[in-house]
Amino acid sequence: MKNERTYYDKVHRWGKISSISALAMMLSVPIAICLYFDIWPSAAGVFKGLLKIVPLFWTVAIIEVITYAPLLGAGGTYLSFVTGNISNLKLPCGLNAMENAGVRANSEEGEVISTIAIAASAITTTLVIALGVVVFSPLLPYLTAEESFFAPAFKQILPALFGALAAGYFGKYFKISILPIAVGIVVLIFAPKLPVGTLIPITVIFSLLGAHIMYKKKLV
Amino acid sequence: MDFKESGFMYLLGGLVVLFVTGQSFFFLIRAWKQGLKLGLPKQKLKGTLASSVLFTLAPALAILATVITLAGALGLVVPWIRLTVIGNISYEVTAAQSILEAFGVPGGLAVEITDKEVFAAAVWVMTIGSVLPLILMPLFLKKIQAKIGKALNSNAKWSDLMSAAAFIGLIAAFIARAVAGAGDENIVGDGAGVLSIIALLSSIAFMLSFELICRKFDLKWLEPFAMPLSMLLAMLLAALASQTLPESFVTIEWRG
Repeated sequence: MKNERTYYDKVHRWGKISSISALAMMLSVPIAICLYFDIWPSAAGVFKGLLKIVPLFWTVAIIEVITYAPLLGAGGTYLSFVTGNISNLKLPCGLNAMENAGVRANSEEGEVISTIAIAASAITTTLVIALGVVVFSPLLPYLTAEESFFAPAFKQILPALFGALAAGYFGKYFKISILPIAVGIVVLIFAPKLPVGTLIPITVIFSLLGAHIMYKKKLV
Repeated sequence: MDFKESGFMYLLGGLVVLFVTGQSFFFLIRAWKQGLKLGLPKQKLKGTLASSVLFTLAPALAILATVITLAGALGLVVPWIRLTVIGNISYEVTAAQSILEAFGVPGGLAVEITDKEVFAAAVWVMTIGSVLPLILMPLFLKKIQAKIGKALNSNAKWSDLMSAAAFIGLIAAFIARAVAGAGDENIVGDGAGVLSIIALLSSIAFMLSFELICRKFDLKWLEPFAMPLSMLLAMLLAALASQTLPESFVTIEWRG
């Protein structure tokens, strides 16, 4: 128990340091651009642009930190929120790894496995993008261009990814899966354009509520 | 030379990549050591690493594709930086579009930005729009996780069920989108339709078959790859379907 406490404490200390350094690094990019090109955009213009996105983006950020933190573990959360692409990449990746390794999400083994998976995923993504930008940028349009053979495949990444993930999970937890899927479909029938980022908190809340009620009624 | 892709901009991009990979390696090594200390077999840690890399390849290529998409307006380097740190496609496109509208640039993202002031403003808005998690985490993450951890540890069966339910809620949102969500009307194949259903159902079928094969022939080494392989095969099938089936059929998207 003592060992567990110290590992988590360490992760949080590293996490705090790395988040603050990441914040400083991110802000230094626009500052460096302004200094180097010696051009400072009008604050009013920037503010006007921010006004449109910040209310939405920042609300989603708060919900995301609260929703994903328990699923990703401590190390996984710090890494995921620095590198992004969480719901479509880091979370399913961590999920898959914990499922394969047969460890529980909220155990120390789960913490370790999810951190390894998310770190590996972050490194792979970063290197693929960097290599792509430097080496493959002339080639990539041929892969993803409208007329390329692979173009339709790239548009179906998410159904393909979540289908495979669902096959593993729904088999084991069939009863509690029906409600959130039904809720998701019903919501989209009435609001087909709802972004998936907004739909996630809704289906997660219904899934948690449904599972909790079934547990209380001894149905699962 | 285009200022958006000058040596200075590439230098900035390189530094960001160094930071992100360095941080990830740091956490990876610490977690690996802790895993060994906890008595997790090395084989399991290696399996986790290998399957995560494979799992990430296709989505990483998709992210690369979005970098290229945004590069038309912003040059290669800024989308590269933004999608390496926190960024995701829907945020970055919205943020960039919003600043172009604020500065009254006609054509929005479809047109290359040539004004340095607009360019700098876009970088500011894209950055500030997405930094909030980096402020929230150092302040609250430990408290959030301590609270949740306490609630979860008091009842193991309930807590396992709850974490499974949270995962399932996430998966359900994407399944629902593949079944009933409208896509971007400018992108064929983005909304729910024949192709999204083919991809969804075939990846479920591939996954179930892999699981069956693994169990029947006791192929432990294959297990970590079942999921990434199912995903890639389903994508390939979607590409094949759109080549071989009649176009009027595969392009059906019932929600637009």
